[in-house]
Amino acid sequence: MKSKNPQKDFASDEFTISRKEALKKIGKYGKYTALTAIGTFIILHPKKAQATSVDNSGLIAPGADGFFD
Amino acid sequence: MHEFLSKAVEDKSIVWFKVSNNYIILEELAAQLVHQILENKTPQKIASTLAEKLTISEQEAIKAVHDVNNRIVIPNTTKSKEEQISKSKYVLPTSFAFQKHYHIHNKVFKVEFANEFQLSLLHPKFAHLETQETSKIEHTFQVFNANHLIHLVLDGECIGAWESENIHYFQGKFSMKIIECIYNKNEAEWMGVFHASAINFKSENILILGDSGNGKSTSLALLQAQGFQCIADDFVPIDQAQNVYSFPAGISIKKNALPVLLEEYPELETSAEYHYERLNKTVRYLPPQKIDYSKAAPCKALVFIKYDATIDFEISKMSKLKAFEHLVPDSWISSSPKNAASFLDWFEKMPCYQLTYSNNELMYSAIKRIFEDDL
Repeated sequence: MKSKNPQKDFASDEFTISRKEALKKIGKYGKYTALTAIGTFIILHPKKAQATSVDNSGLIAPGADGFFD
Repeated sequence: MHEFLSKAVEDKSIVWFKVSNNYIILEELAAQLVHQILENKTPQKIASTLAEKLTISEQEAIKAVHDVNNRIVIPNTTKSKEEQISKSKYVLPTSFAFQKHYHIHNKVFKVEFANEFQLSLLHPKFAHLETQETSKIEHTFQVFNANHLIHLVLDGECIGAWESENIHYFQGKFSMKIIECIYNKNEAEWMGVFHASAINFKSENILILGDSGNGKSTSLALLQAQGFQCIADDFVPIDQAQNVYSFPAGISIKKNALPVLLEEYPELETSAEYHYERLNKTVRYLPPQKIDYSKAAPCKALVFIKYDATIDFEISKMSKLKAFEHLVPDSWISSSPKNAASFLDWFEKMPCYQLTYSNNELMYSAIKRIFEDDL
């Protein structure tokens, strides 16, 4: 059934492309997606030394009594 | 060629560099480029293959290769200024105000503290291991301040000196030295130390992980009361053979967890309470029950736990990459290639779960089912 507003009818011939053309378009953007993905990464740094959790350290602010005696 | 390791996990690759000891999660194609760059292939040659593969121009490809080189390869294969553990010139105090002796595994450790503050940094977690048996001291630690740094000396050798903001590294090194001594393994023989809790059931372990405040220690204490064996809280050592070892420090119980645990552990009512002003936190330490030092055992799964009063119970398999992102920055992983390879192999085969709960019974049941391969 035809749309009441032909200008917004994306199923009309004006907006229809063939499967081959569609794949070509996807391919064109796909390669840039691959290129972008190459440059997307996450660097994870393990701790430099063994540590207890800060949460369990009983850490007191610098200058606290007892630290700089 | 610079040493590196590469492992495919889910739809990505994890690459480890020896020089930086960093782990990088990246696309498989990017990992291939890293490999080719490290094999000293020319950028033109690498780009030419890439251009053909992606049907892009040579210019675009060479830009991508340079990008990978500049942002991944160079920063991770260039030695930065060595960060050395500070070992300032110091004068050993002539006397120590406090002396404690701890019986851990089959050894007696003497620890001397120059002042009460230093005592408060180590003693509460180990108080339950204190002994009056002082005739056969195997190792002596000395803790004191000099040049505005807290120093740790073991059997006459300075292990390190730390600024006040790095006190958790001082505590970590003390714990590491205890582990090295009781298991007769030097640092290079350990794969890593993980910020987790560990429980054992029928000769296998599960690591319980999660952000601070998620309820790792409380869950550990609850599981211990159900008959699971506590292996370690907060500091879980795993050796090159991928076995988890017991570490007998007390389980830290925050004030808000007390009501849940008092029924199982009435002794907590009268346990010493430590108030950490800066963290605005009050903690008691629960001694682990029946520590068995001879039972190093493999790890069966990683469970990222979260206590949430609004959720009765939820468990799901977790993306390995997401688990890896949480695990690595929170862990010390040995920087030797042998240990890094062991770590990647270990992680690859480790099932990861996300468990959120407020219903304790369902949490116990889920943990048991993971142990029994029944989930």
